[in-house]
Amino acid sequence: MSHQAAERRSAMAAAALGRSPSATYSANDTTLCAITGEILDISPHLIILETPEGVEKRLVMAPWTTAWRGSTTSPNDLPVGAQVILRTQRAGRVVDRIWADVTRVNGIILSINGGPKDRTVEVDCGPHRGRRTVSIPYQTSGRIQVRHPQFEPGYLFDVIGLREEGVVSARTPATSQPPYKATAIPPASRVYGSVPSRISGTATWYDAYFENGNRGAAYPMLEEADTGCADGGVSCAGLPYLAIGSLLYVRNVCTGRAAAVPIVECGCLTGKFCDRCVECGTSPRGRIVDLPPTTFVELGGDLTSGCFNARIGLG
Amino acid sequence: MSEAIRAAGLPVLALLLTLGGLAKVITSGREATPGGLTRLGPAILIRETWRAPAMVSCALGEFTLAALLMAGTHSLVRWLTAAFFAVSTFVLVELRRRRPDVGCGCFGEVSSTPVGLRAISRTVVLTLLALGTVGVHQSGWQLVSGLGLLHVLGLAVVVGTLLLVSPELEETVARLRYQAPCELRPVDHGRGLEKLRSSATWRTHRPLLTSDRYTDSWRELCWRFMVFPGEAEGRPVDVVFAVFLSGRRPPIRVAVIDSDSRNVVTLQESIALSAGH
Repeated sequence: MSHQAAERRSAMAAAALGRSPSATYSANDTTLCAITGEILDISPHLIILETPEGVEKRLVMAPWTTAWRGSTTSPNDLPVGAQVILRTQRAGRVVDRIWADVTRVNGIILSINGGPKDRTVEVDCGPHRGRRTVSIPYQTSGRIQVRHPQFEPGYLFDVIGLREEGVVSARTPATSQPPYKATAIPPASRVYGSVPSRISGTATWYDAYFENGNRGAAYPMLEEADTGCADGGVSCAGLPYLAIGSLLYVRNVCTGRAAAVPIVECGCLTGKFCDRCVECGTSPRGRIVDLPPTTFVELGGDLTSGCFNARIGLG
Repeated sequence: MSEAIRAAGLPVLALLLTLGGLAKVITSGREATPGGLTRLGPAILIRETWRAPAMVSCALGEFTLAALLMAGTHSLVRWLTAAFFAVSTFVLVELRRRRPDVGCGCFGEVSSTPVGLRAISRTVVLTLLALGTVGVHQSGWQLVSGLGLLHVLGLAVVVGTLLLVSPELEETVARLRYQAPCELRPVDHGRGLEKLRSSATWRTHRPLLTSDRYTDSWRELCWRFMVFPGEAEGRPVDVVFAVFLSGRRPPIRVAVIDSDSRNVVTLQESIALSAGH
Protein backbone atom coordinates (compact mmCIF):
# COMPACT_ATOMS: atom_id res chain seq x y z
CA MET A 1 0.00 0.00 0.00
CA SER A 2 1.31 3.45 -0.90
CA HIS A 3 2.01 6.12 1.68
CA GLN A 4 -0.78 8.26 0.24
CA ALA A 5 -3.31 5.45 0.68
CA ALA A 6 -2.06 4.82 4.22
CA GLU A 7 -2.37 8.53 5.03
CA ARG A 8 -5.88 8.64 3.60
CA ARG A 9 -6.93 5.72 5.79
CA SER A 10 -5.56 7.52 8.80
CA ALA A 11 -7.47 10.68 7.86
CA MET A 12 -10.68 8.72 7.29
CA ALA A 13 -10.39 6.92 10.63
CA ALA A 14 -9.73 10.24 12.34
CA ALA A 15 -12.79 11.79 10.69
CA ALA A 16 -15.08 8.89 11.59
CA LEU A 17 -13.99 8.77 15.21
CA GLY A 18 -13.58 12.50 15.75
CA ARG A 19 -9.86 12.40 16.34
CA SER A 20 -7.66 15.19 15.16
CA PRO A 21 -5.66 13.96 12.17
CA SER A 22 -1.96 13.59 12.95
CA ALA A 23 1.06 14.23 10.85
CA THR A 24 2.30 10.93 9.42
CA TYR A 25 5.85 11.38 10.58
CA SER A 26 6.98 13.74 13.29
CA ALA A 27 9.83 13.44 15.72
CA ASN A 28 9.56 15.28 19.02
CA ASP A 29 12.83 17.07 18.38
CA THR A 30 15.01 17.45 15.35
CA THR A 31 18.46 17.66 16.90
CA LEU A 32 19.25 14.30 15.32
CA CYS A 33 18.61 13.77 11.63
CA ALA A 34 19.30 10.81 9.40
CA ILE A 35 20.45 11.26 5.83
CA THR A 36 21.00 8.48 3.32
CA GLY A 37 22.95 8.57 0.12
CA GLU A 38 25.99 7.55 -1.87
CA ILE A 39 29.42 8.99 -1.12
CA LEU A 40 30.68 11.19 -3.97
CA ASP A 41 33.72 12.46 -2.07
CA ILE A 42 35.01 12.30 1.46
CA SER A 43 37.80 14.13 3.28
CA PRO A 44 38.66 14.59 6.97
CA HIS A 45 36.47 17.71 7.10
CA LEU A 46 33.77 17.24 4.47
CA ILE A 47 31.58 14.53 3.02
CA ILE A 48 29.71 14.98 -0.25
CA LEU A 49 26.69 12.77 -0.81
CA GLU A 50 24.14 12.15 -3.49
CA THR A 51 20.79 11.46 -1.86
CA PRO A 52 18.27 8.98 -3.36
CA GLU A 53 16.37 12.02 -4.72
CA GLY A 54 19.46 12.97 -6.73
CA VAL A 55 20.33 15.99 -4.57
CA GLU A 56 23.98 16.64 -3.78
CA LYS A 57 24.64 17.38 -0.10
CA ARG A 58 27.79 18.70 1.53
CA LEU A 59 28.14 18.01 5.22
CA VAL A 60 30.76 18.89 7.78
CA MET A 61 32.67 16.05 9.42
CA ALA A 62 33.14 16.66 13.14
CA PRO A 63 36.41 15.61 14.82
CA TRP A 64 34.43 13.05 16.84
CA THR A 65 32.72 11.48 13.82
CA THR A 66 32.93 7.69 13.80
CA ALA A 67 32.19 5.26 11.01
CA TRP A 68 31.22 1.62 10.60
CA ARG A 69 31.85 -0.46 7.53
CA GLY A 70 31.91 -4.07 8.60
CA SER A 71 33.68 -2.90 11.75
CA THR A 72 34.46 0.45 13.36
CA THR A 73 36.70 2.36 11.02
CA SER A 74 38.01 5.84 10.29
CA PRO A 75 35.64 7.94 8.13
CA ASN A 76 38.56 8.65 5.79
CA ASP A 77 38.76 4.95 4.93
CA LEU A 78 35.24 4.86 3.51
CA PRO A 79 35.29 4.30 -0.26
CA VAL A 80 33.64 6.60 -2.77
CA GLY A 81 30.43 4.97 -3.98
CA ALA A 82 29.56 3.44 -0.60
CA GLN A 83 25.88 3.62 0.38
CA VAL A 84 25.76 5.38 3.72
CA ILE A 85 23.34 6.45 6.37
CA LEU A 86 24.49 9.43 8.40
CA ARG A 87 23.40 10.61 11.80
CA THR A 88 23.73 14.37 11.83
CA GLN A 89 23.46 17.12 14.40
CA ARG A 90 23.02 20.89 14.28
CA ALA A 91 20.12 21.00 11.82
CA GLY A 92 21.55 18.27 9.68
CA ARG A 93 24.84 20.00 8.87
CA VAL A 94 27.36 18.17 11.08
CA VAL A 95 27.95 14.43 10.71
CA ASP A 96 28.09 12.55 13.97
CA ARG A 97 28.09 8.88 12.89
CA ILE A 98 28.32 7.04 9.58
CA TRP A 99 27.17 3.53 8.72
CA ALA A 100 28.38 2.42 5.29
CA ASP A 101 26.94 -0.46 3.25
CA VAL A 102 25.19 -1.72 6.35
CA THR A 103 22.45 -4.29 5.92
CA ARG A 104 20.38 -6.52 8.13
CA VAL A 105 19.08 -9.97 7.37
CA ASN A 106 16.50 -11.51 9.65
CA GLY A 107 14.19 -14.39 9.04
CA ILE A 108 13.98 -18.15 9.13
CA ILE A 109 16.98 -20.28 8.21
CA LEU A 110 16.14 -22.33 5.11
CA SER A 111 19.47 -23.99 4.42
CA ILE A 112 23.13 -23.83 5.40
CA ASN A 113 25.78 -24.62 2.86
CA GLY A 114 29.55 -24.68 2.78
CA GLY A 115 32.32 -26.36 4.65
CA PRO A 116 33.96 -25.77 8.00
CA LYS A 117 35.35 -22.37 6.90
CA ASP A 118 33.13 -19.89 5.04
CA ARG A 119 29.46 -20.77 4.94
CA THR A 120 26.35 -19.41 3.25
CA VAL A 121 22.92 -19.30 4.79
CA GLU A 122 19.69 -18.96 2.85
CA VAL A 123 17.11 -17.04 4.85
CA ASP A 124 13.37 -16.61 4.32
CA CYS A 125 12.81 -12.95 5.17
CA GLY A 126 9.01 -13.09 4.84
CA PRO A 127 6.56 -12.72 1.98
CA HIS A 128 7.39 -9.03 1.38
CA ARG A 129 11.16 -9.28 1.55
CA GLY A 130 11.74 -12.62 -0.12
CA ARG A 131 14.73 -14.87 0.33
CA ARG A 132 18.26 -13.67 0.90
CA THR A 133 21.59 -15.41 0.93
CA VAL A 134 24.13 -14.41 3.55
CA SER A 135 27.76 -15.35 3.54
CA ILE A 136 29.32 -16.04 6.94
CA PRO A 137 33.09 -15.58 6.72
CA TYR A 138 35.17 -17.84 8.93
CA GLN A 139 36.46 -14.93 11.04
CA THR A 140 32.91 -13.88 12.08
CA SER A 141 31.37 -17.33 12.30
CA GLY A 142 32.31 -17.75 15.97
CA ARG A 143 30.57 -14.61 17.15
CA ILE A 144 27.54 -15.31 14.92
CA GLN A 145 27.13 -18.89 16.12
CA VAL A 146 27.64 -18.16 19.79
CA ARG A 147 24.47 -16.02 19.58
CA HIS A 148 22.74 -18.53 17.27
CA PRO A 149 23.13 -21.81 19.18
CA GLN A 150 20.37 -23.47 17.11
CA PHE A 151 22.16 -22.93 13.82
CA GLU A 152 19.94 -25.14 11.69
CA PRO A 153 16.98 -24.81 9.29
CA GLY A 154 13.69 -23.83 10.85
CA TYR A 155 15.19 -21.55 13.51
CA LEU A 156 15.29 -17.77 13.48
CA PHE A 157 18.30 -15.82 12.31
CA ASP A 158 19.19 -12.15 12.66
CA VAL A 159 22.51 -10.60 11.69
CA ILE A 160 23.91 -7.23 10.73
CA GLY A 161 26.21 -7.37 7.77
CA LEU A 162 28.05 -5.61 5.04
CA ARG A 163 26.81 -5.36 1.46
CA GLU A 164 29.66 -5.50 -1.06
CA GLU A 165 29.11 -5.93 -4.79
CA GLY A 166 25.68 -7.43 -4.20
CA VAL A 167 26.96 -9.98 -1.68
CA VAL A 168 25.91 -9.76 1.96
CA SER A 169 28.45 -10.95 4.49
CA ALA A 170 27.43 -11.30 8.12
CA ARG A 171 29.51 -9.28 10.58
CA THR A 172 27.74 -9.26 13.90
CA PRO A 173 24.69 -10.97 15.43
CA ALA A 174 21.73 -8.64 15.93
CA THR A 175 20.12 -10.65 18.69
CA SER A 176 20.43 -13.72 20.86
CA GLN A 177 18.57 -16.29 18.85
CA PRO A 178 15.25 -17.38 20.38
CA PRO A 179 15.49 -21.06 21.40
CA TYR A 180 12.31 -22.19 19.63
CA LYS A 181 11.54 -23.03 16.02
CA ALA A 182 9.78 -20.40 13.91
CA THR A 183 6.72 -22.64 13.85
CA ALA A 184 6.46 -22.78 17.66
CA ILE A 185 6.02 -19.18 18.75
CA PRO A 186 5.21 -18.94 22.46
CA PRO A 187 1.85 -17.37 23.23
CA ALA A 188 1.59 -13.89 24.68
CA SER A 189 0.84 -13.42 28.36
CA ARG A 190 -2.84 -13.14 29.14
CA VAL A 191 -4.28 -9.63 29.26
CA TYR A 192 -7.20 -8.98 31.55
CA GLY A 193 -9.50 -5.99 31.06
CA SER A 194 -8.52 -3.78 28.16
CA VAL A 195 -5.22 -3.56 26.35
CA PRO A 196 -2.86 -1.04 28.00
CA SER A 197 -2.53 2.22 26.10
CA ARG A 198 1.25 1.85 26.01
CA ILE A 199 3.14 -1.34 25.33
CA SER A 200 6.84 -1.86 25.96
CA GLY A 201 9.18 -4.13 24.09
CA THR A 202 11.90 -4.08 21.48
CA ALA A 203 12.10 -1.84 18.42
CA THR A 204 14.32 -3.02 15.59
CA TRP A 205 15.16 -1.77 12.11
CA TYR A 206 14.74 -3.38 8.74
CA ASP A 207 16.91 -3.19 5.68
CA ALA A 208 15.15 -0.58 3.58
CA TYR A 209 17.22 2.59 3.57
CA PHE A 210 17.67 2.31 -0.15
CA GLU A 211 13.90 2.60 -0.55
CA ASN A 212 13.30 6.20 -1.37
CA GLY A 213 11.53 8.12 1.36
CA ASN A 214 10.41 5.10 3.36
CA ARG A 215 9.26 6.45 6.71
CA GLY A 216 6.84 3.75 7.70
CA ALA A 217 6.94 1.00 10.25
CA ALA A 218 6.33 -2.72 9.93
CA TYR A 219 3.92 -4.01 12.59
CA PRO A 220 3.13 -7.65 13.34
CA MET A 221 -0.55 -7.65 14.29
CA LEU A 222 -2.29 -6.90 11.02
CA GLU A 223 -5.17 -8.85 9.51
CA GLU A 224 -4.44 -11.11 6.58
CA ALA A 225 -7.26 -9.47 4.60
CA ASP A 226 -5.50 -6.12 5.02
CA THR A 227 -2.01 -7.19 4.02
CA GLY A 228 -2.31 -10.47 2.14
CA CYS A 229 0.28 -11.79 4.56
CA ALA A 230 -0.80 -15.15 5.96
CA ASP A 231 2.15 -15.18 8.37
CA GLY A 232 1.04 -12.00 10.18
CA GLY A 233 -1.18 -11.75 13.23
CA VAL A 234 1.45 -13.33 15.48
CA SER A 235 2.96 -11.56 18.46
CA CYS A 236 4.29 -12.78 21.77
CA ALA A 237 4.16 -9.22 23.13
CA GLY A 238 0.34 -9.12 23.31
CA LEU A 239 -0.05 -6.44 20.65
CA PRO A 240 -3.53 -5.36 19.52
CA TYR A 241 -4.76 -5.47 15.95
CA LEU A 242 -3.98 -2.38 13.91
CA ALA A 243 -4.04 -1.67 10.18
CA ILE A 244 -1.92 -0.31 7.39
CA GLY A 245 -2.20 3.45 7.85
CA SER A 246 -2.59 3.39 11.66
CA LEU A 247 -0.29 5.73 13.51
CA LEU A 248 2.10 4.41 16.12
CA TYR A 249 3.73 6.68 18.65
CA VAL A 250 7.15 5.13 19.12
CA ARG A 251 9.31 6.23 22.04
CA ASN A 252 12.91 5.22 22.58
CA VAL A 253 12.98 4.54 26.30
CA CYS A 254 16.78 4.84 26.39
CA THR A 255 17.03 8.31 24.83
CA GLY A 256 13.55 9.73 25.47
CA ARG A 257 13.12 10.58 21.78
CA ALA A 258 9.71 9.88 20.21
CA ALA A 259 8.02 10.01 16.83
CA ALA A 260 4.66 9.29 15.23
CA VAL A 261 5.19 6.67 12.54
CA PRO A 262 2.53 5.24 10.20
CA ILE A 263 2.30 1.50 9.69
CA VAL A 264 3.03 0.74 6.04
CA GLU A 265 3.96 -2.93 6.05
CA CYS A 266 3.25 -6.22 7.74
CA GLY A 267 5.99 -7.27 10.13
CA CYS A 268 5.27 -10.90 9.41
CA LEU A 269 8.51 -12.08 10.99
CA THR A 270 8.84 -9.30 13.57
CA GLY A 271 6.23 -10.91 15.81
CA LYS A 272 8.04 -14.26 15.74
CA PHE A 273 11.03 -12.86 17.62
CA CYS A 274 10.33 -13.10 21.34
CA ASP A 275 13.70 -11.69 22.26
CA ARG A 276 14.66 -8.82 24.53
CA CYS A 277 16.71 -5.70 23.96
CA VAL A 278 19.33 -4.80 26.56
CA GLU A 279 20.31 -1.35 25.32
CA CYS A 280 19.32 0.25 28.62
CA GLY A 281 18.06 -2.31 31.06
CA THR A 282 16.21 -5.37 29.84
CA SER A 283 13.13 -4.77 27.74
CA PRO A 284 9.98 -6.86 28.10
CA ARG A 285 9.81 -9.88 25.82
CA GLY A 286 8.94 -9.45 22.14
CA ARG A 287 9.48 -7.14 19.20
CA ILE A 288 6.77 -4.54 18.90
CA VAL A 289 7.79 -2.56 15.84
CA ASP A 290 10.24 -2.74 12.96
CA LEU A 291 11.39 0.71 11.83
CA PRO A 292 13.10 1.97 8.70
CA PRO A 293 16.75 2.77 9.42
CA THR A 294 16.31 6.54 9.09
CA THR A 295 13.57 6.62 11.72
CA PHE A 296 15.53 4.21 13.89
CA VAL A 297 18.56 6.52 13.80
CA GLU A 298 16.52 9.69 14.38
CA LEU A 299 15.04 8.08 17.49
CA GLY A 300 18.56 7.62 18.80
CA GLY A 301 19.13 3.99 17.83
CA ASP A 302 22.48 2.57 16.78
CA LEU A 303 22.16 0.43 13.64
CA THR A 304 24.92 -1.93 14.71
CA SER A 305 23.20 -2.61 18.04
CA GLY A 306 20.10 -3.61 16.12
CA CYS A 307 17.48 -2.59 18.69
CA PHE A 308 16.42 -0.18 21.37
CA ASN A 309 14.04 -0.52 24.29
CA ALA A 310 10.80 1.03 23.08
CA ARG A 311 7.31 1.93 24.14
CA ILE A 312 4.50 2.36 21.65
CA GLY A 313 1.22 4.21 22.03
CA LEU A 314 -1.76 3.21 19.98
CA GLY A 315 -4.27 5.33 18.24
CA MET B 1 -19.04 -47.13 52.36
CA SER B 2 -15.31 -47.86 52.57
CA GLU B 3 -15.82 -50.77 50.14
CA ALA B 4 -17.56 -48.35 47.72
CA ILE B 5 -14.69 -45.86 47.95
CA ARG B 6 -12.15 -48.63 47.33
CA ALA B 7 -14.10 -49.82 44.26
CA ALA B 8 -14.61 -46.25 42.98
CA GLY B 9 -10.83 -45.96 42.80
CA LEU B 10 -10.73 -48.27 39.77
CA PRO B 11 -12.46 -46.07 37.14
CA VAL B 12 -10.94 -42.91 38.61
CA LEU B 13 -7.42 -44.33 38.41
CA ALA B 14 -8.05 -45.59 34.87
CA LEU B 15 -9.35 -42.18 33.78
CA LEU B 16 -6.43 -40.28 35.33
CA LEU B 17 -3.89 -42.66 33.82
CA THR B 18 -5.47 -42.23 30.38
CA LEU B 19 -5.58 -38.41 30.64
CA GLY B 20 -2.00 -38.29 31.91
CA GLY B 21 -0.83 -40.56 29.09
CA LEU B 22 -2.58 -38.45 26.45
CA ALA B 23 -1.10 -35.24 27.85
CA LYS B 24 2.39 -36.76 27.79
CA VAL B 25 2.04 -37.89 24.17
CA ILE B 26 0.84 -34.41 23.13
CA THR B 27 3.59 -32.62 25.09
CA SER B 28 6.34 -34.86 23.71
CA GLY B 29 5.17 -34.07 20.16
CA ARG B 30 5.27 -30.30 20.64
CA GLU B 31 8.29 -28.32 19.58
CA ALA B 32 10.30 -26.65 22.28
CA THR B 33 9.12 -23.17 23.25
CA PRO B 34 10.35 -20.89 26.03
CA GLY B 35 8.72 -22.17 29.16
CA GLY B 36 8.09 -25.48 27.46
CA LEU B 37 10.46 -27.21 29.83
CA THR B 38 8.09 -26.53 32.72
CA ARG B 39 5.59 -28.87 31.08
CA LEU B 40 8.00 -31.77 30.82
CA GLY B 41 7.97 -32.78 34.46
CA PRO B 42 10.47 -35.46 35.48
CA ALA B 43 11.62 -35.86 31.85
CA ILE B 44 13.66 -32.69 32.40
CA LEU B 45 16.02 -34.73 34.58
CA ILE B 46 17.19 -36.91 31.67
CA ARG B 47 19.15 -36.13 28.50
CA GLU B 48 17.33 -34.06 25.87
CA THR B 49 17.45 -36.79 23.21
CA TRP B 50 15.81 -39.24 25.59
CA ARG B 51 13.03 -36.94 26.82
CA ALA B 52 10.45 -37.62 24.11
CA PRO B 53 10.98 -41.44 24.11
CA ALA B 54 10.84 -41.46 27.93
CA MET B 55 7.55 -39.55 27.94
CA VAL B 56 6.03 -41.78 25.27
CA SER B 57 7.16 -44.93 27.17
CA CYS B 58 5.61 -43.58 30.37
CA ALA B 59 2.40 -42.79 28.48
CA LEU B 60 2.28 -46.33 27.04
CA GLY B 61 2.70 -47.73 30.55
CA GLU B 62 -0.15 -45.56 31.77
CA PHE B 63 -2.44 -46.64 28.92
CA THR B 64 -1.67 -50.31 29.62
CA LEU B 65 -2.38 -49.97 33.34
CA ALA B 66 -5.60 -48.06 32.61
CA ALA B 67 -6.80 -50.74 30.20
CA LEU B 68 -5.97 -53.58 32.61
CA LEU B 69 -7.63 -51.81 35.53
CA MET B 70 -10.83 -51.47 33.52
CA ALA B 71 -10.79 -54.96 32.04
CA GLY B 72 -9.24 -57.28 34.63
CA THR B 73 -9.45 -58.18 38.29
CA HIS B 74 -5.92 -59.52 38.77
CA SER B 75 -4.36 -58.10 41.92
CA LEU B 76 -0.92 -57.87 40.25
CA VAL B 77 -2.18 -54.99 38.04
CA ARG B 78 -3.37 -53.10 41.11
CA TRP B 79 -0.10 -53.66 42.92
CA LEU B 80 1.71 -52.41 39.81
CA THR B 81 -0.50 -49.32 39.75
CA ALA B 82 0.26 -48.66 43.42
CA ALA B 83 3.97 -49.11 42.70
CA PHE B 84 3.70 -46.71 39.73
CA PHE B 85 2.21 -43.96 41.88
CA ALA B 86 4.64 -44.66 44.74
CA VAL B 87 7.56 -44.24 42.34
CA SER B 88 5.88 -41.09 40.95
CA THR B 89 5.75 -39.67 44.50
CA PHE B 90 9.47 -40.30 44.93
CA VAL B 91 10.23 -38.77 41.49
CA LEU B 92 8.19 -35.63 42.29
CA VAL B 93 9.98 -35.18 45.63
CA GLU B 94 13.30 -35.56 43.82
CA LEU B 95 12.17 -33.18 41.05
CA ARG B 96 11.17 -30.58 43.63
CA ARG B 97 14.59 -30.87 45.27
CA ARG B 98 16.63 -30.74 42.05
CA ARG B 99 14.51 -28.49 39.77
CA PRO B 100 12.14 -26.38 41.90
CA ASP B 101 11.21 -24.30 38.83
CA VAL B 102 9.70 -27.20 36.89
CA GLY B 103 6.08 -28.37 36.98
CA CYS B 104 5.06 -32.00 37.44
CA GLY B 105 4.00 -32.34 33.80
CA CYS B 106 1.27 -34.76 34.91
CA PHE B 107 -1.38 -33.27 32.62
CA GLY B 108 0.71 -31.38 30.08
CA GLU B 109 0.40 -27.60 29.82
CA VAL B 110 -1.92 -27.13 32.79
CA SER B 111 0.63 -28.82 35.08
CA SER B 112 3.30 -26.20 34.52
CA THR B 113 3.17 -24.72 38.02
CA PRO B 114 6.25 -25.79 40.04
CA VAL B 115 5.86 -28.99 42.02
CA GLY B 116 4.45 -28.23 45.45
CA LEU B 117 2.99 -30.12 48.37
CA ARG B 118 -0.37 -30.46 46.62
CA ALA B 119 1.09 -32.28 43.60
CA ILE B 120 3.01 -34.63 45.93
CA SER B 121 -0.07 -35.16 48.13
CA ARG B 122 -2.04 -36.13 45.06
CA THR B 123 0.34 -38.93 44.12
CA VAL B 124 0.25 -40.12 47.75
CA VAL B 125 -3.57 -40.17 47.59
CA LEU B 126 -3.43 -42.03 44.27
CA THR B 127 -0.99 -44.57 45.75
CA LEU B 128 -3.37 -45.16 48.67
CA LEU B 129 -6.28 -45.39 46.25
CA ALA B 130 -4.43 -47.98 44.15
CA LEU B 131 -3.57 -49.97 47.28
CA GLY B 132 -7.24 -49.80 48.25
CA THR B 133 -8.30 -51.46 45.01
CA VAL B 134 -6.29 -54.59 45.86
CA GLY B 135 -8.84 -57.14 46.91
CA VAL B 136 -11.82 -55.54 45.14
CA HIS B 137 -13.49 -58.37 43.22
CA GLN B 138 -14.82 -56.26 40.37
CA SER B 139 -13.12 -54.84 37.29
CA GLY B 140 -13.44 -51.14 36.52
CA TRP B 141 -15.78 -51.86 33.64
CA GLN B 142 -18.09 -54.06 35.77
CA LEU B 143 -18.27 -51.28 38.33
CA VAL B 144 -19.15 -48.59 35.77
CA SER B 145 -21.79 -50.75 34.06
CA GLY B 146 -23.53 -51.58 37.33
CA LEU B 147 -23.18 -48.28 39.13
CA GLY B 148 -25.21 -48.06 42.36
CA LEU B 149 -25.94 -45.13 44.66
CA LEU B 150 -23.20 -46.18 47.06
CA HIS B 151 -20.69 -46.31 44.24
CA VAL B 152 -21.73 -42.83 43.06
CA LEU B 153 -21.16 -41.53 46.58
CA GLY B 154 -17.79 -43.32 46.65
CA LEU B 155 -16.84 -41.73 43.31
CA ALA B 156 -17.86 -38.29 44.60
CA VAL B 157 -15.63 -38.69 47.67
CA VAL B 158 -12.66 -39.85 45.58
CA VAL B 159 -13.06 -37.16 42.89
CA GLY B 160 -13.61 -34.46 45.54
CA THR B 161 -10.45 -35.46 47.40
CA LEU B 162 -8.42 -35.48 44.19
CA LEU B 163 -9.74 -32.07 43.11
CA LEU B 164 -8.78 -30.70 46.50
CA VAL B 165 -5.15 -31.76 46.06
CA SER B 166 -4.90 -30.91 42.34
CA PRO B 167 -2.89 -27.76 41.62
CA GLU B 168 -4.23 -27.76 38.03
CA LEU B 169 -7.74 -26.81 39.18
CA GLU B 170 -7.08 -23.06 39.44
CA GLU B 171 -5.20 -23.00 36.13
CA THR B 172 -8.01 -24.86 34.34
CA VAL B 173 -10.68 -22.53 35.75
CA ALA B 174 -8.59 -19.48 34.80
CA ARG B 175 -8.17 -20.81 31.26
CA LEU B 176 -11.86 -21.52 30.87
CA ARG B 177 -12.89 -18.12 32.22
CA TYR B 178 -10.34 -16.13 30.24
CA GLN B 179 -11.46 -14.12 27.27
CA ALA B 180 -8.94 -11.96 25.46
CA PRO B 181 -9.85 -8.26 25.10
CA CYS B 182 -11.57 -7.34 21.85
CA GLU B 183 -8.41 -5.59 20.60
CA LEU B 184 -6.49 -8.89 20.67
CA ARG B 185 -9.19 -11.22 19.35
CA PRO B 186 -9.41 -12.14 15.69
CA VAL B 187 -12.89 -11.11 14.55
CA ASP B 188 -14.56 -12.41 11.43
CA HIS B 189 -14.52 -9.84 8.65
CA GLY B 190 -18.22 -10.25 7.90
CA ARG B 191 -19.33 -9.57 11.46
CA GLY B 192 -18.71 -5.83 11.25
CA LEU B 193 -20.58 -5.60 7.95
CA GLU B 194 -23.49 -7.55 9.39
CA LYS B 195 -23.73 -5.22 12.39
CA LEU B 196 -23.47 -2.16 10.15
CA ARG B 197 -26.25 -3.27 7.82
CA SER B 198 -28.62 -3.88 10.70
CA SER B 199 -28.01 -0.41 12.20
CA ALA B 200 -30.02 2.81 12.02
CA THR B 201 -26.85 4.67 10.97
CA TRP B 202 -26.68 2.53 7.83
CA ARG B 203 -30.34 3.20 7.00
CA THR B 204 -29.86 6.95 7.52
CA HIS B 205 -26.84 7.15 5.22
CA ARG B 206 -27.97 4.54 2.70
CA PRO B 207 -29.40 7.19 0.25
CA LEU B 208 -25.92 8.74 0.00
CA LEU B 209 -24.30 5.52 -1.22
CA THR B 210 -23.87 4.72 -4.89
CA SER B 211 -22.89 1.12 -4.18
CA ASP B 212 -23.52 -1.46 -1.45
CA ARG B 213 -20.00 -2.83 -1.76
CA TYR B 214 -17.26 -1.21 0.23
CA THR B 215 -14.11 -0.09 -1.53
CA ASP B 216 -11.80 -0.38 1.46
CA SER B 217 -12.01 -2.01 4.86
CA TRP B 218 -9.58 -2.26 7.73
CA ARG B 219 -9.46 -2.89 11.45
CA GLU B 220 -7.91 -0.73 14.14
CA LEU B 221 -8.09 -1.97 17.74
CA CYS B 222 -11.75 -2.85 18.26
CA TRP B 223 -13.08 -0.81 15.34
CA ARG B 224 -13.83 -2.03 11.83
CA PHE B 225 -13.74 0.73 9.21
CA MET B 226 -15.57 0.40 5.90
CA VAL B 227 -15.52 2.92 3.08
CA PHE B 228 -18.42 3.06 0.60
CA PRO B 229 -18.59 5.21 -2.54
CA GLY B 230 -21.33 7.84 -2.46
CA GLU B 231 -22.54 11.16 -3.75
CA ALA B 232 -23.47 14.32 -1.80
CA GLU B 233 -24.54 17.64 -3.26
CA GLY B 234 -23.50 16.42 -6.71
CA ARG B 235 -19.95 15.60 -5.63
CA PRO B 236 -18.38 12.16 -5.25
CA VAL B 237 -17.79 11.34 -1.59
CA ASP B 238 -16.45 8.49 0.52
CA VAL B 239 -18.77 7.42 3.32
CA VAL B 240 -16.68 5.96 6.15
CA PHE B 241 -18.39 3.80 8.73
CA ALA B 242 -16.64 2.74 11.95
CA VAL B 243 -18.24 -0.24 13.69
CA PHE B 244 -17.25 -1.27 17.20
CA LEU B 245 -16.61 -5.01 17.18
CA SER B 246 -17.73 -5.88 20.69
CA GLY B 247 -21.17 -5.90 22.29
CA ARG B 248 -24.66 -6.68 21.05
CA ARG B 249 -25.54 -3.12 20.04
CA PRO B 250 -22.17 -1.66 19.18
CA PRO B 251 -21.65 2.05 18.58
CA ILE B 252 -21.33 3.00 14.92
CA ARG B 253 -19.72 6.24 13.74
CA VAL B 254 -19.80 7.74 10.28
CA ALA B 255 -18.06 10.47 8.33
CA VAL B 256 -18.60 11.74 4.80
CA ILE B 257 -15.38 12.76 3.11
CA ASP B 258 -14.72 14.43 -0.20
CA SER B 259 -13.36 11.74 -2.54
CA ASP B 260 -10.88 14.06 -4.21
CA SER B 261 -9.38 15.58 -1.09
CA ARG B 262 -9.25 14.96 2.62
CA ASN B 263 -11.76 17.67 3.43
CA VAL B 264 -14.50 16.50 5.71
CA VAL B 265 -17.87 17.43 4.31
CA THR B 266 -19.97 16.13 7.17
CA LEU B 267 -18.79 14.85 10.49
CA GLN B 268 -21.17 13.00 12.76
CA GLU B 269 -20.96 12.85 16.51
CA SER B 270 -17.63 11.32 17.46
CA ILE B 271 -15.90 9.73 20.38
CA ALA B 272 -12.31 9.57 21.43
CA LEU B 273 -10.57 6.33 20.55
CA SER B 274 -7.57 5.48 22.63
CA ALA B 275 -4.13 6.16 23.92
CA GLY B 276 -2.62 8.96 21.98
CA HIS B 277 0.85 9.98 22.99
